[in-house]
Amino acid sequence: MSLIEIKDLHKKYKENVVLDGINLSIEQGNVIGIIGPSGTGKSTLLRCLNQLEIPEKGTISINGKEINLSSRKNKKEILALRQNTGMVFQQFNLFERKTALENVEEGLIVVQKKSKEEARRIALEELKRVGMLNWANHYPRHLSGGQQQRVAIARALAMRPQLLLLDEPTSALDPEMVGEVLDVIKKIAAEGFTMLLVSHEMAFVRNVSNRVIFIDKGVVVEDGTPKQVFSNPQNERTKEFLAKMYMLEVEPEYII
Amino acid sequence: MAKLFDFEQVFTNIPELLKYLPITLELALLATFIGLVLGLLLAIVKMKQIPVLKQIAALFVSIVRGTPVLVQLYIVYFGVPMFFKYLNTKYGTHLAVAEIPGFVYAVLALGLNSSAFSSEMIRSALMSVSKGQLEAANALGMTYGQALRRIIIPEAMTVALPTIGNSLISAIKGTSLAFTCAVVEITAQGKIIGGRNYRYFEVYCSLAIIYWLVTVVIEQILKAVEKKMAIPEQVESYIEQKDEK
Ligand SMILES: Nc1ncnc2c1ncn2[C@@H]1O[C@H](COP(=O)(O)OP(=O)(O)O)[C@@H](O)[C@H]1O
Ligand SMILES: [Mg+2]
Repeated sequence: MSLIEIKDLHKKYKENVVLDGINLSIEQGNVIGIIGPSGTGKSTLLRCLNQLEIPEKGTISINGKEINLSSRKNKKEILALRQNTGMVFQQFNLFERKTALENVEEGLIVVQKKSKEEARRIALEELKRVGMLNWANHYPRHLSGGQQQRVAIARALAMRPQLLLLDEPTSALDPEMVGEVLDVIKKIAAEGFTMLLVSHEMAFVRNVSNRVIFIDKGVVVEDGTPKQVFSNPQNERTKEFLAKMYMLEVEPEYII
Repeated sequence: MAKLFDFEQVFTNIPELLKYLPITLELALLATFIGLVLGLLLAIVKMKQIPVLKQIAALFVSIVRGTPVLVQLYIVYFGVPMFFKYLNTKYGTHLAVAEIPGFVYAVLALGLNSSAFSSEMIRSALMSVSKGQLEAANALGMTYGQALRRIIIPEAMTVALPTIGNSLISAIKGTSLAFTCAVVEITAQGKIIGGRNYRYFEVYCSLAIIYWLVTVVIEQILKAVEKKMAIPEQVESYIEQKDEK
């Protein structure tokens, strides 16, 4: 049985259908790269999974327990779900008035009700994992974008989510900082965290993921190993997209 | 002929007036506090667009802003007892209206007044906190209340601090009208002194000096608090304690 099973996810904003029936089973330790043109609903998918958006329809089961994503009523379930999923945002979204250490401790203390000492121990460990231990006392405004994103990753990991959601974690970074964040993601992927990674860094997605899905117009049109998707895409739209991103490894026909 | 202006009197009045300064400060601090709490509620009602409450809040703010404080004090002072009497006769309760001191009415009226003026600034301070931080808090599993208390309000506070200071200062000035509720604070005491020796002008000068100094002191305290709350320019690196394990 899969660790996580997403079934029939539908979401629209007014008349604009963004997700049109997404189904996805995620195995423990899967690193799933999600690619697709902008505006196809990649962020919306991640945001529905931790209920920052409420879809019209759809369920998620984690460890065999099914949760209805479309119901607004059950606050307890939403909170339980949010504790099973961790989110890393494009804009980092660190708490401005807290140090790096306090940022990571916050959820441990407030949500998981851990003691101050325990929270501190875990937080320091996570900061170490992302190479930010020396910056534990620094406030976000003292940190570069890449450093802030690494703290944000530590903050999400500290909660030990079953599923880590990363929404274009390097898109807001200056080019010279992209590498440090990708290195951290690669490291945690190797450590066995299950994650959904939305990214336009095609080479990185290919390198770090063990599965890649291509989403277009609100549905999954391609799903396979990185090699299958990047070297031998089945769908026309995938080919077109990859050609645009200069990632299609077979020679485009028009060159011949 | 008596002196036209008794310069000395301006200063000899001050000690007697200062005895009533605690009342003025208590009134102002309590009113500002009520104003902030109620203002926060009004701001949340407006931000979360809570139906019905939203309209009531808007009407309340509009009425308070559109009427003088003096009139509001009279309305609370006479209105609340009338309301209690109505309850007593209608439901046979025995609410002891006469025992409520005027101080309570004055705090209530000044607090309500302050809330209407602070709600808008509280709202804009809350909105100045980036939405991303709320989302991050939610994503961690924090409730709206937890996010508000731990993340949003602390940051909004730093934005709102100067305006909170202004509310306190205007509340202090507002307390000079508390005589309407039979409260003797410094202005009321000043009038009593003036009535005794007919040196009204001198005593009003004394009052002006006291109010002005109090305001200056508050401004200084606020500056110090602001400085204390500011995120430090630079911090030291964290050094791992090797012997911790
Ligand atoms: N809050 C919103 N209200 C209305 N439309 C939205 C909202 N958020 C996203 N959309 C629309 O949903 C579509 C998908 O957006 P998004 O999930 O951000 O795409 P992606 O992350 O793949 O670039 C876009 O057309 C966008 O305009
Ligand atoms: Mg997006």
